[in-house]
Amino acid sequence: MDEEIEEGMLIEDETEPPPQESETGKISPYEMLRESKSSVEEIVTKMLSIKKHGEPKTQLRELVTQMFLHFVTLRQANRSILLEEDRVKAETERAKAPVDFTTLQLNNLMYEKSHYVKAIKACKDFKSKYPDIELVSEDEFFRDAPEDIKNSIRSKDSAHNLMLQRLDYELFQRKELCKRRDELEQHKKSLLEVIANRKKFLSSLPSHLKSLKKASLPVQNQLGMLQTKKLKQHQLAELLPPPLYVIYSQFLAQKEAFGENIELEIVGSVKDAQAFARHQANKDAGASTNVESSKLEDDAPDEDDDGQRRRKRPKKIPAKVNIEHAGIYQVHPLKIILHIYDNETCEPKSMKLLSLKFECLSKLNIICVGIEGSHEGPENNILCNLFPDDTGLELPHQSAKLVVRETLSFSDKRTSRPYKWAQHLAGIDFLPELPPLVSAQESASGETVRSDIVSGLSMYRQQNRIQTVVQRLRSRKKAQLALVEQLDSLEKLKWPVLTCDNVPWASHKPSCSLQGWSLVGYATSQESSLNIMEKEKVRDPLDVDMLGKSGISREDIDGAREDGELPALVSSTSILDNAQPTPLRTPNLEHSKQLTLISKSITPQTNYSRMLSFSKHDEDYELMLDVDSDQDEPMQTELAADDVASIPSNDITRKTWMDYGSKEYCLVMTRNTDSPAKNLKLQAKIKISMEYPLRPPFFTLNLYTINSEENRDESDDSDWYNELRAMEAEVNLHILNMLPLDQENYILSHQICCLEMLFNYCINEASRSSERKKSSFVIDVGLCKPVSGSIHARSFRGRDRRKMISWKDIECAPGYPC
Amino acid sequence: MLGDATNWDEDAYRESLYKEREVQTRTVFRTAWAPSLSGCPESIVVASSDGSIASYSIASCISKLHSGYGNTKSLLAAEPHCFLQGHDGPAYDVKFFDAGDNTLLLSCGDDGHIRGWRWNECTDIEVPIYLQGSHIEPVMDLMNLQYKGPWGALSPIPENNAIATNTQSGSIFSAAGDSCAYCWDLESGKIKMVFKGHSDYLHCIVARNTVNQIITGSEDGTARIWDCKTGKCIQLIDPAKDNKKQKGNFSCVRCIALDASESWLACADGRSFSVWNLPASDFISRTLTRSSMQDMVFCDNQILGVGAEPLLTRFDIHGSILSEIQCAPQSAFSVAVHPSGVAAVGGYGGLVDVISQFGSHLCTFFCQYR
Repeated sequence: MDEEIEEGMLIEDETEPPPQESETGKISPYEMLRESKSSVEEIVTKMLSIKKHGEPKTQLRELVTQMFLHFVTLRQANRSILLEEDRVKAETERAKAPVDFTTLQLNNLMYEKSHYVKAIKACKDFKSKYPDIELVSEDEFFRDAPEDIKNSIRSKDSAHNLMLQRLDYELFQRKELCKRRDELEQHKKSLLEVIANRKKFLSSLPSHLKSLKKASLPVQNQLGMLQTKKLKQHQLAELLPPPLYVIYSQFLAQKEAFGENIELEIVGSVKDAQAFARHQANKDAGASTNVESSKLEDDAPDEDDDGQRRRKRPKKIPAKVNIEHAGIYQVHPLKIILHIYDNETCEPKSMKLLSLKFECLSKLNIICVGIEGSHEGPENNILCNLFPDDTGLELPHQSAKLVVRETLSFSDKRTSRPYKWAQHLAGIDFLPELPPLVSAQESASGETVRSDIVSGLSMYRQQNRIQTVVQRLRSRKKAQLALVEQLDSLEKLKWPVLTCDNVPWASHKPSCSLQGWSLVGYATSQESSLNIMEKEKVRDPLDVDMLGKSGISREDIDGAREDGELPALVSSTSILDNAQPTPLRTPNLEHSKQLTLISKSITPQTNYSRMLSFSKHDEDYELMLDVDSDQDEPMQTELAADDVASIPSNDITRKTWMDYGSKEYCLVMTRNTDSPAKNLKLQAKIKISMEYPLRPPFFTLNLYTINSEENRDESDDSDWYNELRAMEAEVNLHILNMLPLDQENYILSHQICCLEMLFNYCINEASRSSERKKSSFVIDVGLCKPVSGSIHARSFRGRDRRKMISWKDIECAPGYPC
Repeated sequence: MLGDATNWDEDAYRESLYKEREVQTRTVFRTAWAPSLSGCPESIVVASSDGSIASYSIASCISKLHSGYGNTKSLLAAEPHCFLQGHDGPAYDVKFFDAGDNTLLLSCGDDGHIRGWRWNECTDIEVPIYLQGSHIEPVMDLMNLQYKGPWGALSPIPENNAIATNTQSGSIFSAAGDSCAYCWDLESGKIKMVFKGHSDYLHCIVARNTVNQIITGSEDGTARIWDCKTGKCIQLIDPAKDNKKQKGNFSCVRCIALDASESWLACADGRSFSVWNLPASDFISRTLTRSSMQDMVFCDNQILGVGAEPLLTRFDIHGSILSEIQCAPQSAFSVAVHPSGVAAVGGYGGLVDVISQFGSHLCTFFCQYR
């Protein structure tokens, strides 16, 4: 064991660095260590070999001592090594202290350096305030600055000194300016005081002027300068609702620009109008109370100063009540009166033709027109049908119809009606449907509205609406005057006298006698918008009439008919009606009564609901009222039967507006013929519509023979049918093209004269031809070779045995050869 | 559209009013059913007083009538399929000259012309209706002669009031206003024969082709039967002769009708008409009517007649009334029966009423065009 340890130790020892002092005289401990080790090893080897060979142990003793010696040297060497080591360590410790000290010194110095660098940088970065101050330029400074500033020396650095000088100068200047500002404030204050004084004076001025104006009124009236009135009108115009304002302004413009011979006037009280406008505004703002409105009314400036207005003041309260409760017929308190004068007379004061009153139903936003001061029935109202399809019975636009819904009757009692042309004059088609104040408030959307109105107005002017309407009104009134004149003369059974002599009938001397002239009736809408119940009743008399005329009694016909188609036809309609459920009948009657009065607009609605329930049976009804229907068509045969039955009535419905206001007259002229002795009576039913003369009177002719002995009228219709139709065509249509335009208002006279001439001619021809027959003249026609040697000009021609009439020098109507 | 205060054109409005009245005074003088392959009434040709000859499709009229019920117009304003401005005066008669494929549409009128158009050109028309009028040239144009009077004065051109045809010999017979009937050769356009003898202008003419005769009715109150070979009058029928007792009533023969077998003749004069059996030359019956007959036509064994009243009357051969059907024109100038039994009545007011074989109204329209 021991040996092994020793060995290990030895090995370790060997790895130790070799002694460096080998060359030195003294053997280094390391070498000593190595030597002793090797000698130990030698001894150990010897000892081993002795033990192996079994040599005497004495030798061993020697060897052990030797070895111990070596161990001692080993220990010595070890100790000297350790000592050396300690010595080196102590030496190193001594050398370390100065090194540490110098390192510390270095660090201190570095820190100090960085601090200085930082301080330098901070100094370098310092900014002065002066670059922010705007200074006058150097040149300016030298030029303007006072000497004492320029000469002052504050610093040795010249540049710095200059800068300081400039800054001083700046300060000096600014102080000066501040002083000046204070002065100006002072001045302003004094001026304001002066202005306040003068304003006080101005506000006291109007009352002075007012008293002056009041004093001047009598003078104005005396001199005929209606300045005040005009002003008042303008002031009133501002209160007009927009539609009326458009009418007023456009008429005024027309009058001033083109010298149109018209007068305008606004009537109504300012107070009411103001109250109305306020009321309207309040109501729209949702804060309308009686108290408020009455208070507002008190606030209204007292500008009404003529006595007339003052007298009206007690009426104020009922007027206000009207505003509240008048409902849909609420009329704006202001109205426009338009006087139209004749424009053709050259006298300074020309004849007044018409006075119209325009009023605005503000709820419905429609304009109504009536003739001022006339209370005649609707039939005589010459304003209707001024333009086609404008009876004034129905509301002109859809929204109004919706508002009214049921109970509208622009009945005969109302003299002013919502004609379409009045709406066109008012520009309702482009004005927004808003009360004036509200639209004024809404300025945002107001822009677009305004541009709409502007474009609408320019269209209005381009279309010459005012001019057109005024022209139409004038010509209508003149035509009516001329018509009345003609009717009066006919009433006295005098042939009309014609002033125009380049038409053949004007120079014709009447040889018939004008036997009768009477007003048969009005073809008003009441009659034409027939209800179903009455339809067949109307038809039947027609039938009877027709048959009666042809001189064969109804029984005869019925007998002859057997069960033919015609009776079936007539009864088919009645069957249809009878088949209708009975409850329908009574409401129908009531309804139809209303319908006649109520405008057509409502008809579809009321009718429609009924149609839904009784669609099949209402077939007829539907046809009559012209309601569009998508209902299934009934069987074809039934339809066909309905068709013919409904032709006349349907026709009437279609022409309602044309018939509106038209009158029917009956003219009878008689003529005696010698051979054969007969008394022929020509009856003409003349329908004169409101549109006279644009729509000329329409003649329907009948001819009767009066047997003198029996004194009974006998209709000659069927013999004369075609001749009568040809005469009708001539009178109703063809001669109109020949009339000069200035004779237009006398169309009726022309037609009657022409009719008389044609009638005369026909009778002469007829008697001649029968003469011819009697005396058995055999004559040939035309200029062909005579059979019996006489020449005769033809007087009949064609399949309809038309008389050959030719008007000299005037082109004939197509289809009628000259 | 009617004007109002915003765009007022008084002249245009007056024009439209006059136009409306003119339409009301227009007269349809003749209606004729166009030959159709199917045997159903397809289209009808209408000659009216403005000289126009227009064809209307029945089917489209009926369909328009039905769809247009809600319209404001009570009567259908029909638009023609083909429109010919045939004559300067009124057009009095139209007939189809059936020559196989080459059917001709013949018309005559107040201007004394007889004109013929190829029917298939009219049916295959592509031109829009507002451009039509003189777009198809007539293939044939015959004109009555004017007479020279003393000192060379020319008489007015005699009108042609009616025409009849004979397809076998290719001739057209015309009833002219100079009291003569003419036989024209279709090929050469020359007058083959003149039938002279009436003392006043002719109203109507029918051809009796089986025996090569024509029958004419005249203003002078007589009807005559002529032999086409010789041009001689074979028989003078004077309906008024037996009726002399009637007090001086002058009447003319305004229409005559011949049945399909060409042995029965109906002849209307004034307010009566008489029926004759031609083979036996026998007077059969005489019937008084309320108005003067203006057109008659045989339909099987019955006579359909129209006159100056708004009725289509059906008589049997003995003259008793079988039925009366209300029709639209107040004075009817024409009745035409299609082989299927559908009748068309045309007359005053420019109205055409199409009545089915059962007596119901298929459609009623007025010729509004121009």
